Amino acid sequence: MAAVATLPDDVARVALDLPLRANLSALENIALIPLYQRHYKAAESSRQAQVMLDQLGYADIALLRDPDMTPAQRFVAKLARALILKRPRLVIDRPGAMLYDVPYPAFIGQLAALAEMTGTWEIYDFSWNQALYQE
Amino acid sequence: MNFLVTSIESLGAKVVGWFTVGYGMFAFLTKASLLLLDRTTWNRATFDVVVKQVYFTAVQILHVFLGYALVISWLIITIILSTARDFGLTAFASEMTIRVLVLELLPFLTALFIALRSGSAINTEVALMQVNNELDALEHCKVPPMQFEFLPRLIGGVVSVITLAGLAGLLALLMAYLTIYGINMAGLEPFTRTIAKVFDFPIVAGLIVKCALFGLAVTLIPVTAGLETPKKLFMVPVSVLRGMMRVFFAIVTIEVVSLALKYI
Repeated sequence: MAAVATLPDDVARVALDLPLRANLSALENIALIPLYQRHYKAAESSRQAQVMLDQLGYADIALLRDPDMTPAQRFVAKLARALILKRPRLVIDRPGAMLYDVPYPAFIGQLAALAEMTGTWEIYDFSWNQALYQE
Repeated sequence: MNFLVTSIESLGAKVVGWFTVGYGMFAFLTKASLLLLDRTTWNRATFDVVVKQVYFTAVQILHVFLGYALVISWLIITIILSTARDFGLTAFASEMTIRVLVLELLPFLTALFIALRSGSAINTEVALMQVNNELDALEHCKVPPMQFEFLPRLIGGVVSVITLAGLAGLLALLMAYLTIYGINMAGLEPFTRTIAKVFDFPIVAGLIVKCALFGLAVTLIPVTAGLETPKKLFMVPVSVLRGMMRVFFAIVTIEVVSLALKYI
């Protein structure tokens, strides 16, 4: 798993060790990327972040901060932040550590279908969890 | 003999530790200053965070701070005035008030106020960000922490201390006039003449530099102390304790050096 942390720069990661900024809402966490990387104005960045949450079917978490979210909501916020980076590869690192309250292979599958994003989604998980993905 | 060796080793380790901390702060300040001069830093996003920081550090506490400055000023002015009357030195009361309150006490108390309210919060927040990997997450997303988190806090601290100390000084001058001369215009000429005499260019420049250094001390030191925190949650209180002690010593040192430069 150490290899996941040293992935190249063109990989967007969703991982337990890459948390959200605790004093910002989900929307603000996601909006930081267009704001700082693509230099959009605050209003436009927030709009893009909201569109991303809408696309994932979690528009209602926009104003929640990290400690107020369920594990699934937190995962979606991190996923939206990774997706808005628009990198060609998306790596979900040990999803079981983040999504301990839902059957996560099916949950991620649903999100992937909703997101309709181009690029590759990869899941890095422990080998003993392989059976979960075959159900 | 063993005791001597252990003492020397311990002292050496402390001195090396102080130099490391000092170097870390200096390196951080240099990096922040270079970034400040970089045109690309000044985008809308950074400007918005700076405005937010000034609001949280200065505007949000304005009424409490001005109330506190008013009470302190009134007390000190009354003490100075009654002492001056006792010794037949009433003519010097306004100059004494300006020198003690506006130039020394109010900037010092402003720095302490901001240090206790914002410095400790900054230290805790940065330490928690460090421990929780939030800074690594920002770097992964290519959101520069220096631009987004640290530089706005430094600018906010400097702007807030200068502004609050200035406002408290103006309030103290008004209080001094009202206490010494009462509600009439009779004392306006001698009072403004005393102000002009005290506030020559080197004094005003020195006051601004001192307030700017206070502002830097109450933000730079907590930020660097927070960044030094090992990634263990139980080290956060230790980091805040160390940071706040350093802030206190820095504020006292700045005040002592400023007094020495002015009066010795």
